Formats: sequence, C-alpha cells, structure tokens
Amino acid sequence: MVAVTSSPNIGKSIDRLEAREKVTGRVEYVHHLRLPGMLYGKIFRSNVPHARIKSVDISAAQALEGVYQVITIDDIRKVIPHPYYGPAFHDQPILADGKVRFAGEPVAVVLATDKRIAEEAVGLITAEYEDLPGVFDEVDAMTSETLVHDELKPAATFPDLQHLKGRSGTNVALDYHLLHGDPDAGFAASDHIFEHTFRTQQVMHTPMEPFVSVADVQEGRVTLHTASQGPSFVRIEIARLLGLPENRVRVVVPHLGGGFGGKLYIKLEALVTALSMVAQRPVKISLTMEEQFYMVTRHPCTFKIKSGVTKEGKILARHCEIVWNGGAYADIGPRVTQKAGFTSAGPYDIENVSIDSYAVYTNRPPCGALRGFGAPQTAWAYERHTDMIADALGFDKIAFRRQNLLREGRPQASGTLMRDAALDQVLDHLVDRMNWDIPLDKGTGRIRRGRGIAIGFKGITAPTTSVAIVNMYGDGSCGLYIGTVDMGQGSDTVMAQIAAEVLNIDAASIRVIHPDTDVTPYDMGTLGSRSTFHMGTAVRLAAEEAKAKIAALAVELGMPEGSNVPLAELLRRKYGMQAGNIIGTGSFIPAYEKPDTKTGQSTKATPFWGVGAAGAEVEIDTETGHITVTKLVNVADVGTAINPKMVQQQLSGAGIMQLGFTLTENMVFRDGQLTNGSLADYKIPNLLDMPREFINEYVESRQKDGPFGAKGAGESTTIALSPAIGNAVADAIGIHLTDLPITPESIFRALQEANGTPLAGD
Amino acid sequence: MASFELVEPTNLQDAFALLDDEDPAVRPFGGGTALMLMMKAQLFKPVRLVSLRLLGQQFDGIALSADKSSFRIGAMTTFSQLEHSAEIATYLPVITKTMRTLANVRVRNVATIGGNLAHGDPHLDLPPVWLALGAKALIINKTGERLIPVEEIFAGYYETTLEQGDLIAELHVPVRPGWRSHYAKVTTRAEHDWPALGIAVSVLSEGGRVKGASLVLSAAVDRPTRLVAAENILRGATLDDAVLRAAGEAAVEEVHIETDNRGSAAYKKHLLRVHLGRAIQTVTGA
Repeated sequence: MVAVTSSPNIGKSIDRLEAREKVTGRVEYVHHLRLPGMLYGKIFRSNVPHARIKSVDISAAQALEGVYQVITIDDIRKVIPHPYYGPAFHDQPILADGKVRFAGEPVAVVLATDKRIAEEAVGLITAEYEDLPGVFDEVDAMTSETLVHDELKPAATFPDLQHLKGRSGTNVALDYHLLHGDPDAGFAASDHIFEHTFRTQQVMHTPMEPFVSVADVQEGRVTLHTASQGPSFVRIEIARLLGLPENRVRVVVPHLGGGFGGKLYIKLEALVTALSMVAQRPVKISLTMEEQFYMVTRHPCTFKIKSGVTKEGKILARHCEIVWNGGAYADIGPRVTQKAGFTSAGPYDIENVSIDSYAVYTNRPPCGALRGFGAPQTAWAYERHTDMIADALGFDKIAFRRQNLLREGRPQASGTLMRDAALDQVLDHLVDRMNWDIPLDKGTGRIRRGRGIAIGFKGITAPTTSVAIVNMYGDGSCGLYIGTVDMGQGSDTVMAQIAAEVLNIDAASIRVIHPDTDVTPYDMGTLGSRSTFHMGTAVRLAAEEAKAKIAALAVELGMPEGSNVPLAELLRRKYGMQAGNIIGTGSFIPAYEKPDTKTGQSTKATPFWGVGAAGAEVEIDTETGHITVTKLVNVADVGTAINPKMVQQQLSGAGIMQLGFTLTENMVFRDGQLTNGSLADYKIPNLLDMPREFINEYVESRQKDGPFGAKGAGESTTIALSPAIGNAVADAIGIHLTDLPITPESIFRALQEANGTPLAGD
Repeated sequence: MASFELVEPTNLQDAFALLDDEDPAVRPFGGGTALMLMMKAQLFKPVRLVSLRLLGQQFDGIALSADKSSFRIGAMTTFSQLEHSAEIATYLPVITKTMRTLANVRVRNVATIGGNLAHGDPHLDLPPVWLALGAKALIINKTGERLIPVEEIFAGYYETTLEQGDLIAELHVPVRPGWRSHYAKVTTRAEHDWPALGIAVSVLSEGGRVKGASLVLSAAVDRPTRLVAAENILRGATLDDAVLRAAGEAAVEEVHIETDNRGSAAYKKHLLRVHLGRAIQTVTGA
C-alpha cells in the first residue's frame, strides 16, 4: 500500500507538528483570546421563518445594567452603507434588514463586557413580525410564487461564478447546464430506460469548535481574529464592505477545532467588524453549539436521474435534474450546484449526457460547502440508481460498473479527459477488501444481512491560487509562510514535509507560520481537497526557489560546485555575522478552461479528480427496522500519500462523518422551524456507532502534476459511503430506499409497505 | 446565566429555612447535572440553589437491611456509587446493568438518584427501573415525612407532586426473591441517545407461569407509567407468543404515545409491542 520511497520526508508518517501543544492544552484558539476593552456580543434571532419586521423593541435590553449597546441594522448602516455580503451573491444582510428569511436569522446584537449580561439582555428583546408565506421544499421553491429575495445581487468575486445572474422573479439563484453528445438519440437507441428520484436531508458541519470571531477596528484599520478556513477571502470581502484597501484589513487565524467547509467565506466576520465599528471597541462573538444550526448547513437536494441502457449493459444516455435547497442565502451554493452538477452523472463513460442543476432559495438556514461540495448528495442518487438498474436487469453489480467505468484518457461528461483517476484500482481493491467473491450469509429469520458497494468521484474547485513563502533565517532554520489553515487535517505537517523534502532538512524542524494576512501570502481557502495539491505545489516551488538562491549564494561566495557548506555558514560569510535571509516564493494556479455556459463543456474543468469507493455490510432486525453497519470499507485514490497515517485519519474521519449523514443526522423542520437544534436531539455518531470492522485504505497511484505525486484526500471517503450502505440495505431486505437518512423507522415502514400492511402516518 | 446564591447547609433545619420561600427560583439541588443544562439554556434562572451535599447521614449511603429484604439508599447517592456497589450488583443487578447505557462516566460521578427523580424528565432511565422494582421514596419537609411509591412522585411532563420545601431523602427498595428484572433502553437514532422508549420489567415466574409482574414504560409517555392492563394479562398466564402479543397490544392501548423526533407514534407503538415482549422473554427465558 505505502509507496516505497527512499525519501526522508515523503511517504513518512511523521507526527503532527502541533501534537504536543494540542494534547497539553496549550495550542492557540480564537476562543481563548481576550483583548483589552473587549465587548461580548450575543445575537437575538428571529423566531419566524419569513416575515417583514414591523418593529424591534430593544429598550428593556438597553436599560439592563451592564449592557453597553444594543445594535440593529439601522446602527450598522451608519458605518457600512451597503451592509450585504456573500461569496456568490451579495444577498446576506449583516443583521436582518426589514425582513427575516429563516427562523434563527440574526436580528439584533447585545454588546456587554459580561457575556452573561449580554445573554440575559437578549431575552429582553422583542420583535413584531408580519408573517409572509414561507417556502421550504426545494422542489416547491422552483415554481413557488413566494419569493425569498425580491432582487438578486450577484457578487462576481470568483472567476468560476462570474456568469451568475440568477433568474429574477424566481427563487433560482443559479442554473447550471451540461450537454454532452445527443441524449435524445441515446435514449432512443437504448433497450431499457430507468428513472428514479432521490432525496437527501439537511445536515450540519458540527465542528467541535463553534464559530468564533473577534474584530478590533481602530484608526481606519481592522484586525480580525477568526476561526476561518479562508483568511484571504475574509480580507477581500471585509475590505470591499468597508471600502478599504486590503492592507488596512488584517486577518489572523490560529488553529481551528474543525471546519468541514462551514468556516469558509464570510461567517461572523462581517458582523463583528460592523459591531466593532459602531462600538469603537473590540468585539467578540462565540456561538454556542446550538447556534451553529443557524449559521450554515449542507444542501438538501432532490435528484431525478434517468438512464438508457442496452440489453448488454452499456449505459448509452443519462439525464440528471438536481434541485439544491440553498436556504435563505446563497453562500457558496452556486458553486455546489455547478461543481456537483458537472460530475452528477457518475464516474461512467456515457456518450450522451444532459445535466440541469438548480440552486434555489428557501426559508431555511443557509446551506454551503460541506466536505464534498455536493458530491456525496449526487453519489447517493447515481450509485443507488446503478444498483437499481443492475437489480432490474439481473446484472452483476461489480461487472456492470466495470463495464461502464470511465478510463484513463476518456472524456468525462464535461469533455475534460480523465487523467490520474484510479477508478479501476479503487474498485478492485474494494472488491478484495469486501471479500466479494465469498457469498454473504444473508440470514433467513428475523435478522437479515446484506452488502453493497459504491464508487464516486468529484471535480475540484477551479481556478484557484495558492502562494507560499519559504524564509531561511540567518542560522539556516526555516519558516514556512502559508495561508492554509490547519483545522485538524494536518496541513502544517504535510506542507513542512514538502518543503523539507526539497530543502533536505528535517520536516519537524520547520516552523509553519499560521495565516496572518499581514504576513502570509494569498491562498484561496482551505477547502475542497485543494490544499495538498495547490498549496503543496506552491510550497514546493517556494522551496525550490530558496534552494536555487542558496546554490547561487554559494557560487557567489566562490564555493566549488556541489559543495555542502551549511546555509548558516554561507550567510555568515556573506554578512560577516549571523544575519540575512534566503526567501523563496512559489505561486500556483492550475490550468483551467471556463465551461461553456450552455453545454458545460471544457477541456480543463478540474485540476484533478477526487476518487473514492465504499463498501458496507449491514444487519437488519426486520421486526423493528433496526440497522447495524457491521463492516465498512473505504478506499480512496489520494495519489502519493505524503503522510500515510494522516491520510488514514482523513479517510476514517470523513467516513465516520458520512456515516452520520447516512443514518443519524437530520435537521428536522416543521413549518420552517428547526425542531431538533441541539446535540441531544441532532445525533452525530459516537464510538458505539462504529462498525465492528472498519477499513480505510488507499491504492497505489500518482497524480503526475501534484507535489511528489500527491492529491487531496479530505473528501474522498464522503462520496460513496451513503449509497454503499443504501445498496447493502437493499441487498438485505430487497427494498430500495431513495431518501436519506436511512433510519430504523424508514426501513420498517418500507418493509411494512412491501408486506401490504403500511404503518400509519403518525 | 445571571448570578445567584449557592448555599450548602449542614443540617436539615438550616436547609428547610433556606428553602422556605415561595419563589420557584429557590431550588434544592443534588448533582446539578440536569439543572445546569436548564440554567445554560436559560430555562431556569435561580435566585438561590440549596445544595444537599453536606446534609450527611440520611441522605447518604447504600444499606441492605439485616434480613436482606430491602435497601435503604440515600437520595444523594451518586449513580457511580450505585454502579460500583457490590451489594447492588448481587441483589439488584438490573441497576448495575442499566448504568452501562446511562449517560456517561462524568455525569454518573455527580448525578444523584434523588435529583434524578425530582427532575421529572420522562426520558431518564432510572425512574422506570425504580417503579418496576416497587421502590418507595421517603419525602421530608419541615413539618414531617411521608413514604410514597416512586410512581407517585410524577405528575406529568417535567412535573412532580413535590411541594416547595419537600426533599427526597431516601429510597426504600425491596429485594424480592425470585423476581427478575430488565431494563430495555430503545434508541432509534445513534446507539447512545435519549431512549425512544424505556421499558423496565420485573417478573416472578415459575415454570413459564407468571406469578407477578410489574411493567413500566417511560420516554414515549409523559411520565414513567405502569402498564397495568398488560400486567393483568400476564399475571397467572403461561407465557407463549399469544400471551406476549396480547400483553403488547394491551400496553399500546393503555398509554398515550405522541410523535417526536425519535419516532412517529405509530412506530413507537410498534416498538413497544416488540420490545415489551422481548424484555419479558429476557427475564423469564420464555
């Protein structure tokens, strides 16, 4: 499994650089930060999902002893005339502006020096609303006369989203289309046509460290200390909101306690900045675990998929229609719609494909990126669909997949050729680890067993840029300046390993300087499996430049070619004392071709392909529907594993997370109100939910243009896990479930339905 | 959380004096595990909390009577003290087993059995077990004391019959030779979760014939509830599938179950039928 290498750094499971600091509780988090004179903000939230605000009464809160100030949008408008933000649309007000669009939306903030007083004062605020009809379901939102936004405001910040216009007079924020070949002809030539509809539920990121940001505005400068995955974007967006040059905004990010895509773009940063401007004091907001449900979540979606298949098992045509429930504000939903849209026909070589993918607004909490940018939701549909076709036509599920799998050099539906995507190897390895050749004892009594597999892929956000600086100090020690945020995935360690490999030094000796936009260069964000590939390449380039400069310095000092005089000695000779620096920079942006707006065709739609496959064995108690996942196998293509242990941790962590999104996690809404907004009632899996057998492995492969052959690994095992479990359930009970999550009740209901004795609705 | 007064009286007289207030924001507390969550959520804003921690004697200890016919358990006994008591493990093993799926080590180390009852939360695991075991609670106040079946503490969803100034001092739990007990914590989401149903059964049977049964349902109902109709079907019956089915049906008929995030009413009724039967089979071997 582990690539054999003579390298001292690549392919080595060195310990995390911050491990000691973390286990001794000394590592720095924003939650620990207190600035002199700092005020704490607590948010007053709407309790209705869609309404005009008639009035907000802050008088009692303002009168409470110890309250510094109570702030509404009227106060913010005085310091920020256009207080709307967002990465795709400038659609989100810093505080509710005349209207609330989801239950839980921030309406006012109490500032106090004591957070308990702020909390108490929030309880004294009242608001009067004029209720508006709400729209909550994504399919309803496509045609609803209820509009969440009267006006659509594209942001045009990112090149891949510059064509965004939205459809005015509708709830559609973005529609993405792909056309490849001639689907009508493909369906006409098919022997069998299958059409199924699948649904996924709303879930949330649940980082252990809830959102937290501190802003300190003074003298026309803003300093933000924030738990953010994208400090460079925060700086750009705050600078835009305030009309400041970028060098007047400083964004500092220490370690994060998890992010998973939630802490991207702007979250609390605009709010704390505005509050600090109004109050002229530093302001901190720390959300509670419960408040996280109202910040950002993952898109529910409804996916209608139709395939034409020959009697020999060749898929000739496929049509995908996906509606993404984006909630009240677009956040990065349009990118989810587009990125997950273009791979939604699955990792299969289908000549005729059409895809329509729609991001719609609804009156739910906003949805954004979550570990996979929509790929897990689409794989739930296309890989359940694969098994349903195979079942209907009596095909072997592995052979049917192998027959249709995309192979090296073949065009994917976007027209981009498949390169370095180890789909076959991943599938082969999975089949082996599942012992697929040995029949499973499926049981005949109350307990039934089944197994299933699934395979998926994803494109990577493009085009995006990473910049790195390698700074060799006077004594020859090395600082690495990068904007990549280590949120638990281990990027500090991996980036140090890449730099160390080039510079031929010990990775653990490198000091990784955490994101501080006054110091570290630009990075698009720690997201979408991009850091190892993009920032890793920038780090490699920066280290190579530093290495070349060291060699040049040696020549300048008259050293013989290939001499190995240490850098400290070279610098001492040059400057006459321990002084000076060698600075290498690296900047990387992969090649990209903007997809055609009508057909989605592009020769370079993604810098690389993320590939993951999963297999599951389940046991079902047919008397109750109770399901136990007894075995789970995740196999990924990560290219070269720079740090095998951390890759495994990524694979298993993503797998466990997706296990929750498959079986237990579900934000339940009634009339637009979240009814289970706490961890007591929104159940993430714990150790007792782990499968007895849990295998996480990667295949030997190489991403040729990645740093030392590596590519991203953070999302690979989220993609195919849900359909693998869904397929195993179908194998066990002979019933195909189409909606997530799979719960004991949903299984039992399906069994009763099939028995002709359906369970009553309530 | 606004500031409040925390007092730790060392004798009952002082405790009653400190609790002698009409204000519902003056409350006694045991381990505080439930109260702290309510305070964090701003559901409860105390003015004064009266800790029973230092009252000693009557409120502490697990004592088996000399004739080994009953336990006296002080109300301030923590769950982990119960969990690790050798005598409890011998004479009331259902308690020891229940602890394995109840909360977590940190909570069990501080939560007390008196506070657990006074909280009145129908989802708690231990109250239905006390009911099935036929436990009684000694309630004291400044004018006297009364010994009541644990069942009578509960008046509804988070509601009890305890008055301001009442303290649960101790539990009296009979040791009933030949009776076997079981608690089934039925979860429907993650494995470790609040129960969708808590089913506690205590049965005396001989050769498949049931001589005595107490069956209790919690979590799916507004308070721990004896399944009297189901008990009546079992009592005197020889256990077979038909009897178990009839008991399950009777149980479903005699309680009111509502839909919540752990399951629809229809599904939870079905689970009651299945798991009540399984729990009875577990203790009777039928």
